[in-house]
Amino acid sequence: MAMKGTSIISIDKLSFGYGHNQAVISDVSCNISENTFTVIMGKNGSGKSTFLRLIGGIMPYHKGSIKVSNVELKEFKLGERAKMVGFLPQHHKPVFPFKVSEVVLTGRASYVQFSPKKTDEYQADKALEQIGISSLKNRIYSELSGGEQQLVMIARLLAQQPKILLLDEPISHLDYHNQIRILKLITELVSTNITVVAVLHGPNMAYQFGEEFIYVHDGQVHEVNDKKAWEHQLANEIFDNQLFPVEYKGKYVFIPQVL
Amino acid sequence: MARKTLKYIVILTPFPVMVFSLFLGASDNITFKKIISFLFMQEATDAEMVKTILYHVRLPRILLVFLTGGILAASGSAMQAIFRNPLVDPYILGLSSGAAFGAAFALFIAVIPIQLSAFIFGLSAVSLSYIMARKNKQVSIVSLILAGIITNGIFTALLTIVQIVSDPFKLQSIVHWIMGSFHTANWFKLKLVIIPAVIGLFVMFLLRWKLNVLALGDEEALSAGINPDRIKIWILLATTLASSAVIAVSGIIGLYGLIVPHLVRMIFGVNNKSTLLMNLLLGGAFLVVIDDISRSFKGFEIPVGVFTMLICAPFFIWLLKKTNTGWQ
Repeated sequence: MAMKGTSIISIDKLSFGYGHNQAVISDVSCNISENTFTVIMGKNGSGKSTFLRLIGGIMPYHKGSIKVSNVELKEFKLGERAKMVGFLPQHHKPVFPFKVSEVVLTGRASYVQFSPKKTDEYQADKALEQIGISSLKNRIYSELSGGEQQLVMIARLLAQQPKILLLDEPISHLDYHNQIRILKLITELVSTNITVVAVLHGPNMAYQFGEEFIYVHDGQVHEVNDKKAWEHQLANEIFDNQLFPVEYKGKYVFIPQVL
Repeated sequence: MARKTLKYIVILTPFPVMVFSLFLGASDNITFKKIISFLFMQEATDAEMVKTILYHVRLPRILLVFLTGGILAASGSAMQAIFRNPLVDPYILGLSSGAAFGAAFALFIAVIPIQLSAFIFGLSAVSLSYIMARKNKQVSIVSLILAGIITNGIFTALLTIVQIVSDPFKLQSIVHWIMGSFHTANWFKLKLVIIPAVIGLFVMFLLRWKLNVLALGDEEALSAGINPDRIKIWILLATTLASSAVIAVSGIIGLYGLIVPHLVRMIFGVNNKSTLLMNLLLGGAFLVVIDDISRSFKGFEIPVGVFTMLICAPFFIWLLKKTNTGWQ
């Protein structure tokens, strides 16, 4: 397998704007490392979700280039892209009360011509097992708790078997227990040679679990591949000097300066 | 377990229901006895008349009713899935008001065939909604439903004009047509409907599992490698083609394409992979039963659309209260 650290996504001079107004993302270049947990941070409206969706192929880009495994993202067929990149949108509830097994099976869409086969059902079951939620299989998705729903949606992505997972705020509305559960799961996935890119908000969670960092600010992207440098940025720049680092066993906890 | 048993019941129901319906009708001369002796011995008093009524009146009618019920229910179910909205029915984009205007207009000028006019105006109304909703090469669900409401308004207004200028005799035909009825059903009408109906159903069946993928959201579908817009357009084409064909020969059968998909969902769950067939079978068989009631009245026939409203609505409300549907 490929080494940690080689670049799997290369973005070059990427710009994007909604309509003809100002650019949400302007002239961005960066690399995302393979088999690594990359965290994207930034304020609301900074363009981080847009950035993630562009990489996920959810929105088309017209300026610049996004290469995944050295192939331009635009050149992928829809089904081929889905086998390469899986995107988890921000959370919402579906209207119809589907069973968990039916939801997870939809992740197999790129492998299915018209109707799913036994292998698809097997992969869906396997994904549920991998996350440890096989017991939810026959439950109604819309009746689950927020944390369970998020786990199911991640299982759906795993059933899709992409090499890269893009998660848009996967833990934003979850309780602390479930936040850690999902972040630990991400760490496990990365150890099985999956690349994960996630938008997170809490500086501590991002710092503890993330390996590389991207900070989005005013449509600009700042790459930080070194945890030491990220500590410095967190404490001094990202939150406008509002975070105070406290050292514990060689690591830091960041607390807001309320004084 | 119980669901599986019910599934087989629904699969097996249509045939006996249709056979049973052959024995029902307004004609006093065609008794049960005569039909049996005709069917099994080919010799009965009035054999010719029995044959005519069974083969040229009742059989095509039962088949047409079954097809109409099945298509309205299957189309309603597929459209609820692509719109991600349980309040949608096949008429939402103006199909019914367009077809009603088309039929009334044809009845009024008495030059073009009613079915053709209803079919064409039904299709035109849906196309109009689609064109109105299209902006920047995209069609959002909300603007599509809004455009459908507007289209309904336009054609209802036009229909009113036709009704006002029509003489009372024509007006009665128009009202009768609008309420939906099968009393003029024959093999010719069935032939008119069968090709667009089968094409529409075929496309719906091919895409039925993809409707599940769509149900989670457009971004979720795109992420899984499905182009949601393409599926939506195919389903819209299929449901519109099939529904406008049956509307053209049956008139407007209200609420049916809304209620049956809900019934099926309450019994069989929401998985479109299996519910589409259940909608076709249950929707078909149930409408045959309702039509049996409508044509069992001696002397005059009440349009079947009246009965779908009066029978389905209370039944539906009862089920809605009884079952835990999981709606938020």
